[in-house]
Formats: sequence, C-alpha cells, structure tokens
Amino acid sequence: MASTLRLYLTCIRNTLEAAMCLQNFPCQEVERHNKPEVELKTSPELLLNPILICRNEAEKCLIETSINSLRISLKVKQADELENILAKKFLRFLSMRAEAFQVLRRKPIQGYDISFLITNYHCEEMQKQKLIDFIVQFMEDIDKEISELKMSVNTRGRLVATEFLKQFI
Amino acid sequence: MRRELSMACFERASPALKGILLKLYRAEKHVEIDHHLYEFGSVEYHVQSSAADPNCIYLSISTPLLSQGVEHSYGLSKQMLKEVCSDAVEIVEPPRQGYQLTLKLDFSKIPTEKESEKVIRQISSVQAVILSSQLKEMLENVNSQDASQGMYKPIKLVYHPREPFYVIKQPQKITAVFPMRFKEPSDVIIATAFFQELMDVGSSEKWAKAPPCTWSPIPPPELRGEPIEDLSTNGGFVSFDISSRHVEGKKLDKTVWSLLNFYAYVKNHIKCTRGFIQRRMQKCLERLVEVLNKENKEEDGDVIKVKENAGCKYVRKLVKFPKSAMLKQRCGEFTKKMKRIRSRIKIHGFGRFQRRWLTTSKFPSPMRYTKLD
Repeated sequence: MASTLRLYLTCIRNTLEAAMCLQNFPCQEVERHNKPEVELKTSPELLLNPILICRNEAEKCLIETSINSLRISLKVKQADELENILAKKFLRFLSMRAEAFQVLRRKPIQGYDISFLITNYHCEEMQKQKLIDFIVQFMEDIDKEISELKMSVNTRGRLVATEFLKQFI
Repeated sequence: MRRELSMACFERASPALKGILLKLYRAEKHVEIDHHLYEFGSVEYHVQSSAADPNCIYLSISTPLLSQGVEHSYGLSKQMLKEVCSDAVEIVEPPRQGYQLTLKLDFSKIPTEKESEKVIRQISSVQAVILSSQLKEMLENVNSQDASQGMYKPIKLVYHPREPFYVIKQPQKITAVFPMRFKEPSDVIIATAFFQELMDVGSSEKWAKAPPCTWSPIPPPELRGEPIEDLSTNGGFVSFDISSRHVEGKKLDKTVWSLLNFYAYVKNHIKCTRGFIQRRMQKCLERLVEVLNKENKEEDGDVIKVKENAGCKYVRKLVKFPKSAMLKQRCGEFTKKMKRIRSRIKIHGFGRFQRRWLTTSKFPSPMRYTKLD
C-alpha cells in the first residue's frame, strides 16, 4: 500500500473512532419517532462539525456526525475516462445492492461517489471497531478493484487486438 | 477470454438458412416449403420447394450492394459460387424477380451424409461470398497503376446497414477507414482503449507484417468532402493500410473477411468486456458482503461460545466479555427459572440489585432533555 494511502486511511480510521460514539435519541419534532439526525438536520444542537479528509483533489472523505447517526461520503479517484466509467459502474452496482450492506446509502450525497449511513442501531448490532474496519477495508478494496479492472480491460483489449491482427499474417 | 476469442470467429454461413436446408435434407418425406428469411434488415432469402418438383429446392437471395457508387457485375460472384459449391448447386438464369441470384439445389446429388453438412454450409454462406467478392475485386487491384479520374476518391461500402466504411485506393496501398459509432458513452471508452491497444500492438516490431493501424478522433484527410452525417462519430476513425502483401493468395480471403467484420469484432469485444466487468463487480460485492457478515458471525460466535461453555472455567477465561453482560446472563437464567416455577420468593435487597445491574435504559425518557432554541 502506498504510504500516502496508508496515512489517508489511518486518518479516516482515527476520525471514525472518535466520531462513532452514537446513542439512541428520539426525534424532537415527532413524538415516538426515531430518525437519523444527520439526515434530517432539524436540530443544530444535535449535529457536530463535519470533517473533510482529502488525500488529493480527486479523493476525499466527508464525515458528518450527529447524536444518533454518522454519514460517511467518499469520492473515489478517477484518473482517466476508463477509471471514471469503471468507478461509476462499480459504485452504482454497489448502491443498487445497498440492502446487502445495511450501512450503505442508496444515493450518494452531492459531490461524492458513495455514502454510508451508520446509526446507533448499527453500532448496537455490530461492533463499532468491526464497522470501522469494514469502512476502511471497503475503501481499500474499491481502489484496488478499480485499478485491477482497468488493467484487465486493457490487457483484454491487447489480446483481442493481437488476435485480430493475426488474421492478416 | 477463450470464449470471446472463439466467438469472434464469425461464421460466414447464415445459421437460419443452414438450419432450414439441413432440415429439408434430413426429412424422410418431401416437404413443401415457402420461406422468406430476413437478415440484418436488408438481406432476404427465399427458400421454395414444391410438390411438383420434389428433387429441387430453389433458393433466391437479395442483398444490397456493398457499394452503391461502383457498378458491380455478379460475374465474379457467380464464378466464386461455382468454385465453392458442388454439383448439387446450379445457378438459374435469369434470377427470380426481386432477387439478384437464384440457385437450384438438388440434394440427391450430394454423394455422402458426411459431405452434406459441408455443402449446405457452403450454400448458406452465399451472401458472404457475394459481398466478399466485391471487396476482393477492389483489393486485388492494389498494385495496378490506375490513373483514371477519381482514383483517390473514397468508395463507401455498406456491409451492415448503419455501419458504412470507406475504401480509398492510393499508390501501392488501399486504406480502409471505419467511422466508429456507439450508442453508450461507456462503450465509446472501452472501444477507445481497444483502438489504442490495436495501434500499440500494430506498431510493435513483432507485428510489422500486419497492416498499419491508426486511430484518430477526427476524420482522416482522405475523407474530406464526404457527407457530414457520415463523418460525425463518437468513437473516431480507425484506418488500416492494406498493401499487396496482405492480399496475396489465400490471405486475400482472410483480409476481406476481417475488414468486413471489423465492426462486429469491436462490438463483440465491447459486449464481452461489459460482461467481464459485471462478473468482477459481482465477485467483489460478494467478497465485501462476506467481510461484513463474517464480522457479524464472529460477534454472534462469541456469544454462542459463552453459552456453550458456561460451566467450563478455562474456556470462559478465553472469551473476553464485559463483566456486566456476564452478570446479566447469569441472573437472567436465574430469573427465568424463578418465572418457570412461578414461586413468589422474596429476597432481601434483590429489587435494588436488579435495578442496579439487570435493567438497561434503552429508551430514555423524553422528559430528560430540554430542547434548546
């Protein structure tokens, strides 16, 4: 792993560890309702300052925290057009299967490629540390998968081109 | 990848026509038939077999010309057909109305069962033979010093409708230019990556004998003056320079077929690449979900282990569990037993102990906070 990526991921891990201290909190607007405050943003006193962690202009992570929920939004690197369509395809594919992940948001927030929403219930059901591990692993895997996909597409292209030119010889 | 490459060997024979002819050949009794088949929206086959003439089947073919601008005689096509097909096939003159070619097939002249499939495959590839013959005619004259007017004028060829390409005759070579169009933006990017690989491979020393290939997003200068709708593309232009080396002897047939099917080849590659990406994404999804589930399972596993080894001191020590949770578990079992026997036992101080250790306030009272304005 590149040292810059390690630093970036460590920073996100530490921030998540600090931010993920969620507790049950009923909605202040509607009686007997319990809603993620980070989504509704009805009461400013229940929200913490959002934290933006940037590796570079193309790769960043926004962590928004509230009393009972946490929203993590990621922007994945897209160096060229091929990486751009691969990242879009891949993240759309994952978002459409968000139910498999429980903590994945169906629609990313504006300006980001993918978003997670973690509530206090998720923290109760799964261990906090494991959730953080999953988010960091997810980020690592996405980067790796997109790079590998790009390489595979180019390798396939080269093989197919070779097969085509073989026909002329 | 192997499947993709094998699929890329596009068949010359029309599968539908081959199927019908094989069915007719294998039929024990004479079958009366009058079929019209359409391929690519513009190729039409008419298969007719009547009771009056049970030995003969008439196959008529109508196919658009490869090039509208050049007058083409079917002489070469017919000559090639005679070479390709066996005695079982006879060309009917004149062809039936509305068709360019009519063949009379006599299956009784096919000597063996083994040979039948080969002959029928050859008959089914008649349309490919007709179209190939037209391009062959052009490529065979690569070296001819034709100084006629319009020598460098591009000839528009249409093998599949909506996918025309150009052949430009130049001194010592013929350039085939393919304007590439795709429906999806993602297809354009996959195709562009492929064209760049094609250029890289073609320019390497190992492939020096292959026709030089160039890709450019703008039309090559040779196409200047062509209608704007033909030159507006989203995938750029791919050009191959065909020299006399590539049309020598048996290579001519391969070269013609490769050029005619270049579009199909690229589209097949895009389709397979999309499938490959989808499979990779599915695998990655499964892997990521497994990571999440594994973590949940580990957590559940810890709890199960504690329950299973409740009596064993040594194992209990291995499982790290909060003290309050263990206490709660032990007391939970005790209270369950008490409930089961329904005896009202009063233990001095137990109520206070229960309030202190066994109750968890999951839902704090809404009265505990005051809303700030």
